[in-house]
Amino acid sequence: MNGGITKDDFARMIGGAAASIRAQHALLSELDCAAGDGDHGGAMLRTVERLEKAFAPGGPEDLKTCLQEAGWSVLGADGGASSSLLGIFFGGMADAPACGAPAGASDLAAIFEAGLAAVRRQTKAQPGDKTMMDALVPAIAALRAAADAGKSVTEALHDAAGAAHSGAEATRNLTARYGRAKFLGEQTRGHLDPGAASTGLMFEGFYRGLGESKGESGNA
Amino acid sequence: MKKFINKPENIVPELLEGLALSHPDKIRLTGSNLVARAVPKTRGKVGVVTLGGSGHEPGLSGFVGEGMLDVSVAGEIFAAPGAPRCLEAIRLAQYGAGVLFIVLNHAGDVLSANITMELAKREGLNVKMTLTHEDIAGGPNPEDRRGLVGFLPVYKVAGAAAEEGRPLDACFEIAERMGRNMRTLAVAVQTATHPSTGQPIFELGDDEMEIGMGQHGEAGTGAMKLKSADETAEIMLEMLLKDLAAKPGEEMLVIVNGAGATTLMELFIVFRRVNQILKAKGIKLARSKVGEFITTQEQAGFQLMIARMDAELLRLWDAPSNAPYFVVR
Repeated sequence: MNGGITKDDFARMIGGAAASIRAQHALLSELDCAAGDGDHGGAMLRTVERLEKAFAPGGPEDLKTCLQEAGWSVLGADGGASSSLLGIFFGGMADAPACGAPAGASDLAAIFEAGLAAVRRQTKAQPGDKTMMDALVPAIAALRAAADAGKSVTEALHDAAGAAHSGAEATRNLTARYGRAKFLGEQTRGHLDPGAASTGLMFEGFYRGLGESKGESGNA
Repeated sequence: MKKFINKPENIVPELLEGLALSHPDKIRLTGSNLVARAVPKTRGKVGVVTLGGSGHEPGLSGFVGEGMLDVSVAGEIFAAPGAPRCLEAIRLAQYGAGVLFIVLNHAGDVLSANITMELAKREGLNVKMTLTHEDIAGGPNPEDRRGLVGFLPVYKVAGAAAEEGRPLDACFEIAERMGRNMRTLAVAVQTATHPSTGQPIFELGDDEMEIGMGQHGEAGTGAMKLKSADETAEIMLEMLLKDLAAKPGEEMLVIVNGAGATTLMELFIVFRRVNQILKAKGIKLARSKVGEFITTQEQAGFQLMIARMDAELLRLWDAPSNAPYFVVR
């Protein structure tokens, strides 16, 4: 994909993320049983439902407003830490100047980087702490690297999805240092972090949602 | 799972509706399902607001009432409410003297509260946030200590100070002083099931107990063989007294809080032993409460809280309250 990134492209990415989460929400709750209260799947379902609503046809046409509304709406999903951080993430994307008229992969990376910067203002968690940051940070780094290498938006999202997935998988060997799970310490080793897993699923969905509409979908 | 519920997604709105309808003279639902006092406080007084997940009834919304909370923001089951509803609650509780925002130290609650504070500041609202973190199982660092039943004395003394018309700075100082002087430990012997998913929230052997377990079944210091009431009380109280550096002659408030499935019978047996130990150490049991203030479904176990009280804290603890689950006349 070459031209600009429209609100509708973003809506397709969100739709893909919602489909990924819906397909795997039971698994997310199961993962959450190992260290949390076992309802991460439910919280993520509420989150993607609100994201979809913010990007639904008939809403605002400009990306910035949609992202602002999406962020505010997800903050209100009452899904504990994960929906607060995702609300901050999507709302933070609206702060990127590139939101005005994003042209390609580099602007998309800038938008995601603005979201990540907003998340970092709210949490001190770093990759390695066994949280969603283990998937989010490498995904956005991969997006940036792909953009810098001159790849298309779809290719960049493909790389981001791969990095998010690897980052999530790597949490299996980590010990939790944030959130409720930190109280389990060493016992969390061997379990996939549910927040990292759901972030991985969302990025896979971003890629599929946009890639499939452009007929470029491969194996993420 | 055997629970009297309807659709899982309706648990929270239905329970809040029931809570409000059962005490229509005291509390009402308003805005986006906020639990507020039926008769708002008079102007010029500090508003007191809290937030927290549901599934812990009567915590936290059962403590909205004259002399305690003005507004409680209930989240989904075991999950913090988001910042937008917390901000709405803080706007609602502005009576012209600012708002004290009482937050229990749990990752999701703190995140929501921090975002709320940023938004409130942007609106120019006068808000001070106090964090309760008294669970000594979290280790020596206060940031790692969870907020357990210690919310109760903090709501009570800060709520009473606000009701008396004390300014925000004074209410905040009283809440912080109460917080610094309290310690809690929890013990669990049986898991709760998550009412939406029907799944147990942790595993514990039939003959085991775990000291230090959090409100949502977050593991504590490791499972051990089940002990008698007296032995359990001795282990927990010793840890609490040591951490608080309690000395003979000091006045203590003691709370024994049932987790949901532990009977009052058991709580009284535990409390009796706590009383004996304090007496033997020359520590004065100034006030006490035994009952269910924050529960986790049918989790079995209890929280033991001790707090060092001074004359002012005792006076505020004794002040009137008409909160449905904490009436003081």
